[in-house]
Amino acid sequence: MTVFHILAYASLLVLGAGVIARILRLASMPLHLRWELYPVPHERGRAGYGGSRLEEVNWWTKSHRADHVTELRTMLMEILLLKGVWEHNRPLWLSTFTLHFGLYLLIGEAALLVLGGLLILTGGALPQALGAVILALAWAGYLMGLAGSVLMLGRRLFDPKLRAFNSSGHLFNLLLLGAIHATGLLWIAGDPLYISRLTGFLAGLAAPAGPFNLPMLGYWHVGLVLFFFVYFPFTHMTHAFVKYFTYHNVRWEDEPNLPGSRLQEKIVRLESQAPTWAAPHIGADGKKTWVDIVTKTGEEKS
Amino acid sequence: MSPTTRKEPRRIKDMSLPSEQVAHVEPQDLVPLPPPYDKLEEQPRFKPLSDDSRAKLEASLDDTLCIGCPKPASKEEEERLIQAFISGLHKLFTKENNWTFLQPLTLSMEHCARCQTCVDDCPVYEESGKNEVYRPTYRSEILRRLYFKYVKPGLPGFQTFQNGGIELNWTLISRLLELSYRCTLCRRCAQSCPIGVDNGLITHEIRKLFSSEMGLTAKDLHEKGTVQQLAVGSSTGMIPVVVKDNIEFIDEDMTDRTGIKVETKWDVEGAEVLLLHNAGEILAWPDNPGCFALLLDAAGISWTMSSDLVGYDGVNYGLFYDDVQLARIAYRHFEIAKKLKVKKIVMGECGHESKALGVIADRVFQGIPRETAMTLMADIVFSGRIKFDPSRNDFPVTLHDPCNLARAMGVIEPQRKVLRYLAPRFREMHPHGVRNYCCGGGSGFAIMSQFNFQDWRLQINGRRKFRQILEAFQDTDLTSNDPKYVCAPCSNCKGQIRDLFDYYGAKEKSGLHYGGLVELVVNAMVDLKEPFINWEIM
Ligand code: SF4
Ligand code: SF4
Repeated sequence: MTVFHILAYASLLVLGAGVIARILRLASMPLHLRWELYPVPHERGRAGYGGSRLEEVNWWTKSHRADHVTELRTMLMEILLLKGVWEHNRPLWLSTFTLHFGLYLLIGEAALLVLGGLLILTGGALPQALGAVILALAWAGYLMGLAGSVLMLGRRLFDPKLRAFNSSGHLFNLLLLGAIHATGLLWIAGDPLYISRLTGFLAGLAAPAGPFNLPMLGYWHVGLVLFFFVYFPFTHMTHAFVKYFTYHNVRWEDEPNLPGSRLQEKIVRLESQAPTWAAPHIGADGKKTWVDIVTKTGEEKS
Repeated sequence: MSPTTRKEPRRIKDMSLPSEQVAHVEPQDLVPLPPPYDKLEEQPRFKPLSDDSRAKLEASLDDTLCIGCPKPASKEEEERLIQAFISGLHKLFTKENNWTFLQPLTLSMEHCARCQTCVDDCPVYEESGKNEVYRPTYRSEILRRLYFKYVKPGLPGFQTFQNGGIELNWTLISRLLELSYRCTLCRRCAQSCPIGVDNGLITHEIRKLFSSEMGLTAKDLHEKGTVQQLAVGSSTGMIPVVVKDNIEFIDEDMTDRTGIKVETKWDVEGAEVLLLHNAGEILAWPDNPGCFALLLDAAGISWTMSSDLVGYDGVNYGLFYDDVQLARIAYRHFEIAKKLKVKKIVMGECGHESKALGVIADRVFQGIPRETAMTLMADIVFSGRIKFDPSRNDFPVTLHDPCNLARAMGVIEPQRKVLRYLAPRFREMHPHGVRNYCCGGGSGFAIMSQFNFQDWRLQINGRRKFRQILEAFQDTDLTSNDPKYVCAPCSNCKGQIRDLFDYYGAKEKSGLHYGGLVELVVNAMVDLKEPFINWEIM
């Protein structure tokens, strides 16, 4: 086992732990007040114009079946094609789409490389067709990713609408992604053994045996990717998976608290907490519960 | 530092630098209105703040004041206020204080890509001529940087590198307080965010921090709003006996005008419907509750109003600034409905009431089912129980979608269905429905006119809506006062539209009138000897 092995394991560990920790932290946050925002795509027959079941008289007596197909289609259009940016910020779309789509292609490449690594470990060989697909994904991914990083960097630097809101981190993120794509591109362009070296690298991670067989560019590329893994969980780029929560737990979360609902039990628990807000009209003392504060005090104070 | 104009993007950091005024809007910066309102010299003037206000109050944000926070009397007081703000900032991110919005707020704090996709959808930013401080992301970014600095600092320097730094001082805090009252919480920007970040929510949470920890908020929402409502029964100041008197007068007037006996029911146990109006209707637009009484009787519905404290006022301004106040009022509404053993609460023509009680309070108390007046009205109109003659509404009608009904509840079609049937010259505004523009009176602004705030909310905030209304009637003669009707099924929106029309002289100049939906429904009832709508007294 080499130092590079240890660095690779460490970065994968940080990535995994960081992502899981964020998911757990967000998922364990308390139930919140309803704050859905229409259109909600699972509103069967109404999502097109943004309607909801609340349009029906005595809506609580009617059965309600969510339209998961439209919801899934909406998600895919948003994730794959960045429909929101297309509709609301067309000038930015090309740069952000190429950046994101390049990354999706590279994620696809990585998944196939893992498959290839597994085949090698189990004594098999990489089928030619699979190799061709990996190469195509890598070329397209690096090219799109690099173009997207450069275009986005240009926008961030020269578009006054974005510039005032830049932090050093935003520029660094794009430089880092650009560097990953550029090194990947240079490597794949100059090394006919690109795939076998990468599958070998992955097999070597799974079953350590001596140093990796990577060229200098390969080490740079893989090193940058590993650094990205360590860095990513601590940045806003986690929106990649946190979007699940912003959409499903807030924007499209419309479960009513009807009699017999599982929500009520949670609400009662949450309302038994003791707030400590200091403004006099709240009347909190760190002991009185939220529900007592709301139901038993407050009428006369200002 | 010179005030911001649209040509000069303002860096977030600059908000901490002391200066006389950060942002300023010139009349020529504003998006022009269509004729006959296109001449700048004929537009109302924006009154400057008085020297006295500027001397005594924190007025360094822009040309107006909403809160008018007094300047601290001493360095010690200033320091105390800064500490209180920091303490509130921490509490905003704790379960026990803010379980109500902790998850959505954290999501919005930590994942914004600063892509600015949301900004052009904000009517305040757009109409001001894209003044930087009115950007939806501007106030959010201030809170975000403070969050990463004080609540989630991480490794030294890392968050400043990632999210940008900011200096916390009283200058920044006092500007942030005012800035949280330059957004109507309409959430149009949130619809366009690809990530699901909600700048409207962030504004709401900033207001909450100031109110719940520091007791700083708009007087009209708090002292004259929720506090008064809980104490005497209504934010209008009406006590039960006064409400009953007023309604009796409305009933008599309706009976005289329509020839149909109208009699509001009070405190009927076991009624099918508890009708809960925004009490502002009773004082400002008495035809509205009068029409509801007539319509529900004509439809044979068993209904009642409540004369209990708070039970006759569906207003809940807590929605705009303070969850505890919101819950206190919602609790009263639920308790009263329970006591009366009604089958459901029908929320009158009021957007924020409908959202507060119909949706938000759903996760505070489990109570009697609620529905909006839009659905009930559509049900009545198409039930066949009443005969209508749509030709009685033969004048141009357009519809304003209250944000709280459309964007926050998805109640869009019932009111349109009614209008398509009963108003033959109905036309849509563009955009409409779930993508509507706020009237500019949202989040409580419609009832605020302190200092010169009215100029701001009518010239900047309400400008998009006024333009939309004029555009909807482009096929008519806007220089004649032939009547045109803007149907705004929400008390707060009506208040703002009334003020817009007064401000620009639109009734006299263009014949623009406004009202609710129920008035159009009653106007078309065949049982009425004559049409009910009287343009002279509107
Ligand atoms: S709120 Fe959304 S749209 Fe606006 S800048 Fe942030 S990520 Fe972009
Ligand atoms: S909520 Fe509405 S007013 Fe506020 S920033 Fe967003 S679009 Fe503008």
